[in-house]
Amino acid sequence: MPSTVVHAGFALLLAAGLLGAYYDRRALAVLLVVLVLPEADSFLGAIMPGAHRTVGHNFVLPAAAALGLYYDTRVRERSLLRDRLSDRLIAVAWVAVFVHVFAHVAVDWTHLDGVNAFWPLRDRFFHLGGEAFYSTADGFVQTFVDVRVDPETGTRTVDAGAGGTSESVHVSNPVQPRDPDLDVDEPVERRFPVANGGWRLYLIGLGLFALGARRLQGDDVGGDA
Amino acid sequence: MAPPLVSAAVGALLAAALLGDAFDRRSVAVVVAAALLPGLDAAASLVVPGATNTLFHAVWAPLFAGGLLYWDTTHRAESALRARGGRRAVRVAWVALASLVVAGIGSALFAGEGAVLLYPFEEARYAVRGRLAYSTQEGIVQTFVALGADGPGLLPLESVDAATAEPVSSWINPDGRPGIDPGVDRRFDFVENGWQLVVVAAAAATLAVRFRGRGGDAATDGGGFR
Repeated sequence: MPSTVVHAGFALLLAAGLLGAYYDRRALAVLLVVLVLPEADSFLGAIMPGAHRTVGHNFVLPAAAALGLYYDTRVRERSLLRDRLSDRLIAVAWVAVFVHVFAHVAVDWTHLDGVNAFWPLRDRFFHLGGEAFYSTADGFVQTFVDVRVDPETGTRTVDAGAGGTSESVHVSNPVQPRDPDLDVDEPVERRFPVANGGWRLYLIGLGLFALGARRLQGDDVGGDA
Repeated sequence: MAPPLVSAAVGALLAAALLGDAFDRRSVAVVVAAALLPGLDAAASLVVPGATNTLFHAVWAPLFAGGLLYWDTTHRAESALRARGGRRAVRVAWVALASLVVAGIGSALFAGEGAVLLYPFEEARYAVRGRLAYSTQEGIVQTFVALGADGPGLLPLESVDAATAEPVSSWINPDGRPGIDPGVDRRFDFVENGWQLVVVAAAAATLAVRFRGRGGDAATDGGGFR
């Protein structure tokens, strides 16, 4: 997995842009917990095969959380959450859902076998990979979603990077560094990546830069503490 | 250079994160334009040999601009910038400079073909490549910074001695050498891989949330979600 440090870096950048007046150490701490929590599905791998990148890494649970938040705070006449929680906590909850989707699930979506995007509705790993460009020779080309039309039968097949299911896919992680179906020589090497590749270091750096810059700005313009 | 769309997206995210009270359509446009500015040296490469990722990717101009800005706003009795545009202008100027360095030059350094940071004093093009991990067998493994490496550059980063010898290709100038060839195949990259698409999508969503229901000119830092 891209390490939690990478997720946290990108999340810091997003949070600094979205928290606004609620930007403070406590809100950031809550977001960090939300970022780390899904990785706990690594430990579930011991009792539920293929749990990593499945239980904590899908778009269904955050969508459900967002719907629930929206329904309760906007649609219902008396909001249960607004009665109990401050506006501030509700804003932080919205940012947490946003950050979880973009800085965690979406980033993991691009890595190795991707994420089990629609679990628990559908058990299928999806990987986001490809490129998009415009060339004078070929026009607009994108290879993220592969749509093929069979010239004879006219049937359309769409390949959005679908892979195996939680039965067949094991995304290695420091808790389970190998596919449990394979024989493993002891001692196992466990790698805890921080940043594999320049762009991951870039995301970490962006987050730290945003954090540092906000600190420097502290007394610059009012209402921004 | 990294795809312009990616530089713009990082610039937009920095704008949302750092502009605070000064956040509105105009200031975001300024900050995103600053992120795109270094990429324009590709146009200069049509005339100057090897200018892509070189001319506007050197550290001197941003250092000078930063020094000037610092001197004007803190050491002069009467700041020219503050007199003209108030505290807001000062803030936008600092964020635009940060965007130029971090989103413009930084994206080339970390995610693109590299940047000739010390041009014109040397021709080495630097790029940050490597990995940092902790392994139970090998301890901390780090290959981003190599002290005493035999690369051509002075800085301890991966580098190639190639600003003019192996010019960077771009959509403006596909072969990177001076002169225009109208018949050549050009290619404009939007995103090169998955993570860049994620950054672009996150930036678009962030701007959508920040501008939502605000008309784009009410300069408050109420955050995205209420």
